[in-house]
Amino acid sequence: MEKASSRLRVLALLVALMFVSLSTRLWFLQVLATQRFEKEARDNSARLVYTDPLRGQIYDAEGRLLVVNQESLELRITPDQLGDEGEAVVGRVAKLTDVPIADIVSKLQDKRYLPTQAIPVAEFVPKEVDFYIHEHPTRFPGVEVEQTSVRSYPFGRLAAHVLGWTGLIDAEQYAALQKEGYGPNDIVGTSGLESVYEPYLRGERGKQKLIVNADGETIQALGTIPPTPGDDLALALDARVQRLAEKALAEGMVRARAYHDQNGRPYQANAGAVVVLDANTGGVVAMVSNPGFDPSWYVHGLTPQQQKYLTKNANAPSVNRATQLTYQPGSTFKSITGLTAIKEGFATMSGYYPCEGTYTKPGDTSGTEFNNWTDANLGSMTISHALVVSCDTVFDAFGADFYDQYVQNSLGTHGDLLERDLHDWGFESPTGVDLPAEATGLVPDPAWAETARAADGSRLFPYGWVPGGDILTMIGSGYVQVTPLQLAQAYAAIANGGQLCRPHLVDQILAPDGSPAKRVDSRCDRTIPYSPQELGYVRGALRGVVATGGTAACAFSGFPTSQVAVAGKTGTAERTGFQDTSWFASMVGPDPDHPQYVIVTMVEQGGFGGQTAAPITRQVIDALYPTIGDAGQPGCISSDR
Amino acid sequence: MDVVAGRAFANERRPIRHVDWLLIVITLGLSVVGLFLLYSATNQTLRQDGLDPFTRVSKQAFTIGLGVVVLLVMSSVDYRFFKVYAGFIYLASLLALVLVRIPGIGSTDSTGTAQRWFALGGIQITPSEFCKLALIVMLAAVLSELRTPEPTLADLLKLLGLAAVPLVLVFLQPDIGTSIGITAIVVGMLIVAGTRLKHLLILTAVGVVLIGLVFQTDAIENYQRARLVAFLDPQNASADVRYNLDQSLIAVGSGGLTGKGYLNGTQTNLDYVPEQHTDFIFTVAGEEFGFLGAIALLALFALLLWRAIRIAWMAKDPFGTYVAAGIASMFAVQMFVNVGMVIGIMPITGIPLPFLSYGGTSILVSFAGVGMLESIHMRRFL
Repeated sequence: MEKASSRLRVLALLVALMFVSLSTRLWFLQVLATQRFEKEARDNSARLVYTDPLRGQIYDAEGRLLVVNQESLELRITPDQLGDEGEAVVGRVAKLTDVPIADIVSKLQDKRYLPTQAIPVAEFVPKEVDFYIHEHPTRFPGVEVEQTSVRSYPFGRLAAHVLGWTGLIDAEQYAALQKEGYGPNDIVGTSGLESVYEPYLRGERGKQKLIVNADGETIQALGTIPPTPGDDLALALDARVQRLAEKALAEGMVRARAYHDQNGRPYQANAGAVVVLDANTGGVVAMVSNPGFDPSWYVHGLTPQQQKYLTKNANAPSVNRATQLTYQPGSTFKSITGLTAIKEGFATMSGYYPCEGTYTKPGDTSGTEFNNWTDANLGSMTISHALVVSCDTVFDAFGADFYDQYVQNSLGTHGDLLERDLHDWGFESPTGVDLPAEATGLVPDPAWAETARAADGSRLFPYGWVPGGDILTMIGSGYVQVTPLQLAQAYAAIANGGQLCRPHLVDQILAPDGSPAKRVDSRCDRTIPYSPQELGYVRGALRGVVATGGTAACAFSGFPTSQVAVAGKTGTAERTGFQDTSWFASMVGPDPDHPQYVIVTMVEQGGFGGQTAAPITRQVIDALYPTIGDAGQPGCISSDR
Repeated sequence: MDVVAGRAFANERRPIRHVDWLLIVITLGLSVVGLFLLYSATNQTLRQDGLDPFTRVSKQAFTIGLGVVVLLVMSSVDYRFFKVYAGFIYLASLLALVLVRIPGIGSTDSTGTAQRWFALGGIQITPSEFCKLALIVMLAAVLSELRTPEPTLADLLKLLGLAAVPLVLVFLQPDIGTSIGITAIVVGMLIVAGTRLKHLLILTAVGVVLIGLVFQTDAIENYQRARLVAFLDPQNASADVRYNLDQSLIAVGSGGLTGKGYLNGTQTNLDYVPEQHTDFIFTVAGEEFGFLGAIALLALFALLLWRAIRIAWMAKDPFGTYVAAGIASMFAVQMFVNVGMVIGIMPITGIPLPFLSYGGTSILVSFAGVGMLESIHMRRFL
């Protein structure tokens, strides 16, 4: 064993080396570098505590509260902290809160959130549940009940698309907003006004620096900054008008389904929109999109059925059809294209133009024909009368004039005059309304035709820009696409004498003390190049539309136009593969020369404008002017376009 | 007279008369210090959860009591008995390592990444801890039967083969800490067996290459790779990976020369150091008792290792020497790697500090080891 003892000495030496290195390192850490670590330990014991601010509230034009805060005990689960018995814990929570297990699980598995986030699974939890969970922490790992304030909607589903909703910040938003001080469990506006005005509504978190002792108890509170509530929003929207407009659209859509199209099929009338603008300011008095949803679903967390309804439904109920989808405007476009024809000298206000059953461009050898809605030759008429009876062929000819003008000036720089003129009215660019994800729309032009041809292998426009491009745009058909709000903005310019006003929901942003938090720039800073006489001429013509002989005469029969003048234009836009889109764009007010409001009504697959959209608009007018005593004229079978 | 003298002599050689009392005192001393540190590490968080602040301490005290029983049993068994049954013990430990990986028999930890223990009526039994002792017995049995004064290359390969099986099984769990422990036991015992320096160096080189290769494969988890990278390149490690080490260093470093006083450690009380009651228990000593306390604790370990090596030297037969040397190596490396990782000179691997870290199997195996040391010491004249 002598040998062994010398080898054991080697082992002992190695062990001794271990102790030497450990002691040396400890000497360095605890004696030489201790000051640095002491400071870090002190910094560790100063804790920042945050208090969430109250989110700003939303008022309507009459000061009614549309979105308020409500105190709630919110139960949250952090998936990563559930531990081994995750299923059992979820089961206990489900039993305690009466939320089905499947609902909780689907919320926890939502891919948008990180597993380290505390995901809300139940709102308005009873106090007893809170106590129970606090008394049994080991049975509920990863579960917490927090006092929060959640959004509440006194008017229920009213204006849901406009107001939008709030929700737990998702992973993507968190990555973007982290720099601005957002936490992983913050609530953010996700849609509608809640999202656009998030920086105002949110407010500022309160901060408190606490010095804690070794027991974790607070010794001293330093620099308390209380939370600043978010700014309130005062809307141009009138909840009463909004409610009645929602009702009018819903009822009108039901009525439309009782009618049949030319193929004998009932109209689907699956969706629609109504926009009511203050003609002089661009303020949105009402904005309806149907089908809708209840914003409070998002407060409680979507159930699988609600999730399915919102995301899997072909009618996309969460889409705001007034601003986020585009449609062919049909004949409602003629009020505007007629003015462009006058502006470019292709027509005069007093001139007469033939309204034949079919229009063929002179000199065109391709055999292309453009049909009016009737085979009959209605003879020559003024633009005014062509608007009243919605004659297509009169406008077809103006479109051909635009095309010829384009051909003659094809070496010039301005491209297609019609497109340029329509840009003056705000088409093919977002209106700038204070709502998210606004659609742009389309005004087709030679350059666009070129790209369309290149993109789809010459199926579209195989010969490049052809007369039909301008001719169809002239009557709001073909490829032109607008949002109901863009159309309303243009009609407001006709109504107010030529000012293009940016539509807006929010009238004022109010600081918590009630003072304006942000100065609002003028929204009517653009004008359209048309004389008051020209605009007045069109308004006069459109008043004829609702009078006897006009395309909306049936819908407005018996309406007291002496008290409230109505100038409107019907539209029935053909849509490939679908039933016609029903339109009515109108200007209303006691003074025929100074309309107060612009109303645009659109029903997808709703059929004739005079039959579906116009009666809905009449109901909205009744809501705007309750004192005129009009009882409405809901049923009206009319094939007027 | 002869008879009486002989009887007196026999009496003198009775094992009970040759207990290494100092070793017992050191063992119990370390355990009691561990209980105090454990209370400091856990009482605040337990209170916050509305639980009895002594919950963990009493459970650990119970385990220590159990450990004392194990110590008594192991020391009363003649250690040579283990030599006879070394093969069975070794195979049984391998069987346990295989069984623990079968879902339904073995249990998985909360992160679901490692499968390491059997759940036996609320107690977690970690077979990888026991397999260290089994391997010590097995290697000692083989080494003690060598015909040559130092192991030949063939002997070495046989020994390494025996060690490789449990090593691979443990590594696959994955349990890098225990793998290091096993490696250290093998190296320690080979040194004592007189392995040539040349062979040891070749062995080291092969080991380094193997480790490098393993880190290229998927055999280890990403968090383990991240920890190693963080250790080698701390400046570029993510805050997440560094957090454990940073908080641990702050705790130990801020303790200074004399510490902040018992139960006064801010890092400890505010639960800044993750896993403080298990792998990072040393931080409590460092923060609350300072450099002097930490050195005193290390001194206890030094005494323990001195006694273990002394027993190896005094053992009656080579088998006893090898077993004692193996146990000494086991304690030494666990102590060094654990304290080393706490103070940032070793990578974080998850290895318990013998007698101090909270956890059943580690305590029981440590006491069993001491029991075997005692058994060797008590029978050095038989």
